[in-house]
Amino acid sequence: MSTIVNLDDSVPNVNYRQVGKPLPRTDAAGKVFGKTPYAGDYQMPGMLHMRVVRADIASAELTHLDVEKARALAGVVEIITAADLPDRMAATDIPGQTGQKRMDTDQQVLVRKRVKYFGEPIALIAAETPDIANRAAELVAFTLKPIPGVYDPIEAMKPGAPIVQGKDNVVATHKIKKGDAAAGLAAADIVIENTYKTPFQEHAFLEPEVGLAWIDENEVINIRVCTQVIEHFRAIADAVGVPHNKVRIRGALVGGGFGGKEDVTVEIYLALMAKRTLRPVRLEYTREDSLVGHGKRHPFTLTYKTGLTKDGKICGLDVQIIADSGAYVFLSPYVLLYGAVNAPGPYKVENLNVFAQAVATNNMFTSAFRGFGGMQSCAAYEQQMDECAKALGMDRIEFRRLNYLNTGDEISTGFVPPSAIWTEKCVDLAWKNLGGELALKKDGPIKIGRGVAAYQQSYGRLTFLHDTSEAWVGVEIDGTVIVRSGVTDIGAGQVSALGQIAVEILGVSLEDVIIYNSDSAVTPLAGTTTATRALYMTGNATKMAAEAVRKRLVARAAKSFGVEPDVVDLGGSRAFVIDNPETSMEFIDLVKLCASDGIHRSELVNFKAPFSDYLDPETGQGQAHPDYVYGAHAIEVSVDTDTGEVRVLRSVAVHDIGQCINRAAVEGQIEGGTQNGQGFALSEEMLYEEGKLVTPSFSEYLMPTSMDMPRVEISLLESRSGLGPFGAKGIGEPAISPVAPAIANAIADAIGVRVFEMPITPERVVNALKGAVGQM
Amino acid sequence: MYGEFKLEMPQQLDEALALIAEDPAEVLSGGTNLMIELRARKLRPEQVVSLDALSELRGIEVDGNRITLGARTTISDILRCDDMAEFGPSLLDAANLFAGQMVRNMGTVGGNIACSSPAADLVPPLMSLDAEITLVSSKGTRKVALCDYYLSYKKDVRAPSEMITSVSWKKLAKNSSNSFYKLARRIGDAITVTGVAVTLTMDGDRCTTARIALGAVAPTVFRATNAEKILEGQILTDDLITTAAQQAKAQSSPISDVRASAEYRLHTVGKLTHRLLTQARDKLV
Ligand SMILES: Cc1cc2nc3c(=O)[nH]c(=O)nc-3n(C[C@H](O)[C@H](O)[C@H](O)COP(=O)(O)OP(=O)(O)OC[C@H]3O[C@@H](n4cnc5c(N)ncnc54)[C@H](O)[C@@H]3O)c2cc1C
Repeated sequence: MSTIVNLDDSVPNVNYRQVGKPLPRTDAAGKVFGKTPYAGDYQMPGMLHMRVVRADIASAELTHLDVEKARALAGVVEIITAADLPDRMAATDIPGQTGQKRMDTDQQVLVRKRVKYFGEPIALIAAETPDIANRAAELVAFTLKPIPGVYDPIEAMKPGAPIVQGKDNVVATHKIKKGDAAAGLAAADIVIENTYKTPFQEHAFLEPEVGLAWIDENEVINIRVCTQVIEHFRAIADAVGVPHNKVRIRGALVGGGFGGKEDVTVEIYLALMAKRTLRPVRLEYTREDSLVGHGKRHPFTLTYKTGLTKDGKICGLDVQIIADSGAYVFLSPYVLLYGAVNAPGPYKVENLNVFAQAVATNNMFTSAFRGFGGMQSCAAYEQQMDECAKALGMDRIEFRRLNYLNTGDEISTGFVPPSAIWTEKCVDLAWKNLGGELALKKDGPIKIGRGVAAYQQSYGRLTFLHDTSEAWVGVEIDGTVIVRSGVTDIGAGQVSALGQIAVEILGVSLEDVIIYNSDSAVTPLAGTTTATRALYMTGNATKMAAEAVRKRLVARAAKSFGVEPDVVDLGGSRAFVIDNPETSMEFIDLVKLCASDGIHRSELVNFKAPFSDYLDPETGQGQAHPDYVYGAHAIEVSVDTDTGEVRVLRSVAVHDIGQCINRAAVEGQIEGGTQNGQGFALSEEMLYEEGKLVTPSFSEYLMPTSMDMPRVEISLLESRSGLGPFGAKGIGEPAISPVAPAIANAIADAIGVRVFEMPITPERVVNALKGAVGQM
Repeated sequence: MYGEFKLEMPQQLDEALALIAEDPAEVLSGGTNLMIELRARKLRPEQVVSLDALSELRGIEVDGNRITLGARTTISDILRCDDMAEFGPSLLDAANLFAGQMVRNMGTVGGNIACSSPAADLVPPLMSLDAEITLVSSKGTRKVALCDYYLSYKKDVRAPSEMITSVSWKKLAKNSSNSFYKLARRIGDAITVTGVAVTLTMDGDRCTTARIALGAVAPTVFRATNAEKILEGQILTDDLITTAAQQAKAQSSPISDVRASAEYRLHTVGKLTHRLLTQARDKLV
């Protein structure tokens, strides 16, 4: 169990009745007892089973496609190819509420002529049984004529490179300019330059993509699917060619998302097939399908040139970022923007130049993944901070201390985050909990090392996307509470948190609430469960809705008690006078009174995030996000210098989460983020050879197991300064950000040399050590 | 997948042997290799003969100086055997880092040997213990030293009509040390990149017997006999151990794959052989 550390006396010591406690989540019992249906558990009479046929070469022309043999197989009901979809395209851009869309980012639904990546879908099969669909897939005959492709973003930018997207493969460019970086670097006493690389990472959620679609009596295409974004109903309708109100997404509890279910996955295939066959259709990806079926984390190459004064101040910073966007654009421009905005990390850099490009290749397309570009930058800037301290001969904590952003300081874009910046407190505590620098290094082949990393990670979507979220809260006549909101729950407790917020405000308990969520037609749209925004956005909407209802209930109670409303409180399922709790009534009686008086016992609220214009295109100045989260992770490792094996011995997390809503859920996020970050640092890498996936299963793609992870030691700081409900910030993405660089720094501390490319495999460690010996 | 072959569930060993004598078949033991290959359609057998009902093939027996594991003994059975730390310390090392719990409960010794993978983790330990396997067909029984069992990548001396029924070895001599190191890309549930099993028996400060069995660094698991010869009959100086480790490396012929390069495998097979030999010597002398 984590410790909550109260470090700031200026924050009033608020006592909540529900919020902040490690309560059993509303979704826990159903999951534990196996009662919760996931999208894959739904069946319908007469349903067909689908299968997607995919290209097995990354860059090619489809010269021949013959589905007749497959169609002739008994039990095959329908096969759809591009020929059936002459003018259908699918959006790859930000879905959503705003209707904004960039030009030229759409994708063919099925391969027409040109194959751009390994696994690109060629045909959709529907059959009476999964087995028949599988056999039919083997009977689809196609010929792919290889076309020279490009598999490295740096190669893709060279003149004459094969073109995958646009005119020159560059799908996005972002610049951030502040002060004069060149002058700052020129004036520096020391300049440290390093290039860091990060890999393609796979989300590897437990639940592969799955859905069931059917057409109802109103000709609405219903899709039961695991998704982070029910708002895709619009993009799906556009792709299929029906009005928006003829597609209804009914989510289910999701077996993990991590950004991998942020884009459309199986929905369009299901919708097309249901519309064509007029029968219920089900599509479930195997793990193999899943690994080639959704985008990956962008590999980044980041070159940091840091100018330092002798006394340890950063006086200039130049950062060049190149991201591999793969074959289609998807969310690359936004991911890249997060990378650019966060490029200096939680440090004050007055002379800054960031130049970031996302480049198309014939690799797997890349899109959203927990940390969304910000964590790739963190992987680089925190390694660079250690390299700078080392070059200066300074203690790495003290060096950081000289350069921290503090509350009220401007970040890279000139924006001042409205909340507390507690990086220093977080780093100090993490380092203290770990025990600080090691006094003695061990002899023998096995070395021990320690490292720390801080981070800056936003919560809430980019403010120029004009984000909104709706929630509805109502009280039944028997005093029970209902929350309705479209929010999707991807396993982090998003839904349960809303319940906790509503009952805190209404003074009842978590058992009294039922939450309906994730239905694009009947629950108010909450926006996506992405960008560490669900609690911030929908939590606020829920809180405001509950407060509106509370206000009316309290007014009615005050009338009965003959007092002013501001002396009445709700708690313990009662309404009472604060200074005279004897004067009280049961919540249920109050609700009944309201009902008979015709007082409105529900409220629908639309919460708006701060809106901004797009950042200045030349300088990147302006507001990018509503606010930021700060924290730190500290790590102890052992490194076997003979074999290069790294063991993570201790893992210490400290985050200022603003305010815990459910402490157990916060810890769950931090533990999961730690595992996710450890894999990114040490073992996880999707490898492509000429675009072809050569790690097609969990036998090659290696996430840390329980045997590879130490217990995560967690301390939570609550600045109560966030923009979320009760001063909450967010933890979903921040949890992963600092883990990998902390591990990298610990390894470098142990062996005295740095591996600049993640994952830091045993082989890379051995090679780095050999290189170091070679130099001596 | 299941409808594509005939599944036989013989109740007696004889029955099973008769089935595989007649028609080509895949034997199904724990299925932790076979099922994966069937699902991926790498194998499309017409007949699968399950050994599930043949309980006589499962168990650990000690007869005087000899330990025998039935072919259907699972990895978990090895871990549950209290005396395994004495019978085969290297086998226990391997079982401890073998797959994950579910696979350990299903996967068997016979399947591990018979899959003829160079990365099969029980094989280097068993080879370092001078194990011998029993092959049985409807025509008769023969015994083969494990170190003579493998021919080349995924090829062995077993005829299609034969089955492995057991594997056995002699208890370790006095003054012996036996250990296994599994090097992989992570600790839990990973395929071995380099596996080294070592047995040393000492008479005073002189080495009487040396066994070095190497996994995942050649088309088959094999014994680094050149290295063994260097050690046997000698006083184990640091230099001699270094030379033996170099020999082990020289006898290896690894490939590069997504897990590691050939160079890395060579580097680590040398380092680990050196480490295990040194640890064994230091323990005994
Ligand atoms: C997730 C996972 C992790 C794994 N991790 C490891 C690991 O860490 N180390 C490791 O070494 N292996 C590992 N394996 C591979 C596998 O589990 C082992 O090789 C196991 O010992 C195989 O035994 P089995 O009984 O399941 O074999 P089966 O799959 O039943 O059979 C394997 C092969 O041997 C043949 N066969 C089986 N029994 C006999 C017999 N008695 N006579 C003749 N032929 C026979 C079968 O016909 C088949 O060709 C792993 C597998 C998985 C799925």
